[in-house]
Amino acid sequence: MKILKLPKEKLDLFASVVQQFGELHAPVEQDGRYVFKRLTRWSDARLEYDRTILPPKKYFLPPKETLFRYRPGEGFVPHTDGLDQRIILFGVHACDVYAINILDRVFAGKYQDPYFQARRKNIAIIGIDCTPDKQCFCRSMRADFVDHGFDLFFYDTGNYYQALVGTALGDDMVLATGNLFEPVDAADIEAYKQRSIDKRRAFQLDVEIRDLPEIFEMEYQSEMWEELGARCLSCGSCSMVCPTCYCYDVNDDVELGSRAGKRTRSWDSCLFASHALVGSGENFRGTREARIKFRFYHKQRGFVAEYGRPSCVGCGRCTSACPVHIDVVEVIDRLRRVQDVASR
Amino acid sequence: MSKPTVGIFGLTGCAGDQLVILNCEDRLMDIVALLDVRDFLMASSENDTACQLDIALVEGAVTTRRDAARLLAIRQRSKALVALGTCAVWGGVAALDRGQDRARLLDEVYGEGHPDYDSIPAQALHEVVPVDLNITGCPIEKEEFVAAIAALLNGDVPLAVEYAVCTECRMRENNCLLTERGELCCGPLTVAGCGARCPELRIACVGCRGPVDDANSASLVKVFEARGFAPQDIAARLRTFAPQGVTS
Repeated sequence: MKILKLPKEKLDLFASVVQQFGELHAPVEQDGRYVFKRLTRWSDARLEYDRTILPPKKYFLPPKETLFRYRPGEGFVPHTDGLDQRIILFGVHACDVYAINILDRVFAGKYQDPYFQARRKNIAIIGIDCTPDKQCFCRSMRADFVDHGFDLFFYDTGNYYQALVGTALGDDMVLATGNLFEPVDAADIEAYKQRSIDKRRAFQLDVEIRDLPEIFEMEYQSEMWEELGARCLSCGSCSMVCPTCYCYDVNDDVELGSRAGKRTRSWDSCLFASHALVGSGENFRGTREARIKFRFYHKQRGFVAEYGRPSCVGCGRCTSACPVHIDVVEVIDRLRRVQDVASR
Repeated sequence: MSKPTVGIFGLTGCAGDQLVILNCEDRLMDIVALLDVRDFLMASSENDTACQLDIALVEGAVTTRRDAARLLAIRQRSKALVALGTCAVWGGVAALDRGQDRARLLDEVYGEGHPDYDSIPAQALHEVVPVDLNITGCPIEKEEFVAAIAALLNGDVPLAVEYAVCTECRMRENNCLLTERGELCCGPLTVAGCGARCPELRIACVGCRGPVDDANSASLVKVFEARGFAPQDIAARLRTFAPQGVTS
């Protein structure tokens, strides 16, 4: 992978040049928190943000979108508005890029989703390094570094941003800036390594994920699920803010006075009482306990079986969004202790 | 196919839900082209008050014996009865005082020695007659109303929202008033459909749409208590719109 460096004082210039590749979106402050938003001016970008309320998922799988319009006798017309819009997401953290790579496996693997794929193709990603806070555990989830899924990734090494060039588009962005970027030397690589060490030391949370599928397998009857079920509000906040929760619901919005309409999809959550409700009236996960348990099993157990790793990236959003303080690290820790006692 | 005959009625309430129907201005001509509205006092002084109805839309709570009698009469002349708005669906603000001594309340409001007013503890429609469909909201949402009519005309049951206000609030990327600001926000218990209109304006959800399915009020009350809210303030907030919908 090509590695270059950009003098920090040239970042503004880079940002203005790179806009020829798409509409610039970055984290901006909103009511004391951060959200990814279209920039009206570069100075609004807050590249030292902790985490955005919603992950970049919202750009690839919007909270609600129209899939197609239908009219009896005429068939259907796919709704493609906006799919070809070129956007640059500037300042995406490694965990969030990792999460988008996980979404790739779901929407661009066995089941191809043209809407997701069109957006993935047209939305460029410029990653940025970050400093973990008390809710970050991406390192435990092996998502603190990404080697693909971005066009450029910037690492703060003091006077420079060291830039990993991830794609040909990223390389085009570099070339378009003329000679803003400089080659790296041995001292720069040392500075990068030191930054990595410092970052690793900054983690305050650590959770062991080794053997997790086995442990989850053994703890299916744990009393903890009942306790979590009694606490969970089924409010869906954790699913909305999760960068890898991809469940969606599909509905037909019928026009008044006809059988024509549009088919839409919107974010769903396995915590909703209706998530596993089927046509016969049977609900496979009728209790909150069954639903919160399912959420953990899908993230930490089922996804491992299907895709080889948990779908959790350790971004800390669900923990900070949960009104009743259900903490994913605490849940895993508790399960592990139980297992350790039992296996002694 | 002949147009379905429709009646729109108000029991005890603010008439706000009927007003929402009239406020569907750009859709009104479509609606009256599709529905044969026979009895709608708020919109017309000439009504057929005895005809059979395919659909009756009823707003307000039952707070008098006269309300109960009217509702029974409406039920008897209607194939389908739709409860319109939080008062009709849950009892609403009129049901706030349910469980208290009615005679004492009447004395408190009208003074001792008041005439014998027709007043009974407020009830939701379903407590008096069978209800076929609920469209909640204080007031109802135009879009939900129009979508419900569109579905009914196609012989479908309108889709019920089965998640909490928090879901829409997170989708809109609002900063959480409960977890971040420690406010007495009822979003986690309240059924969505409003687009989290109040939290969007930094106003805590008061639960005006009534509870979501499977609302876990006991757990949220613990959170409120841990944040230092007084039990009576929590109870007052939770009971405002749907007193029988929350048990804690």
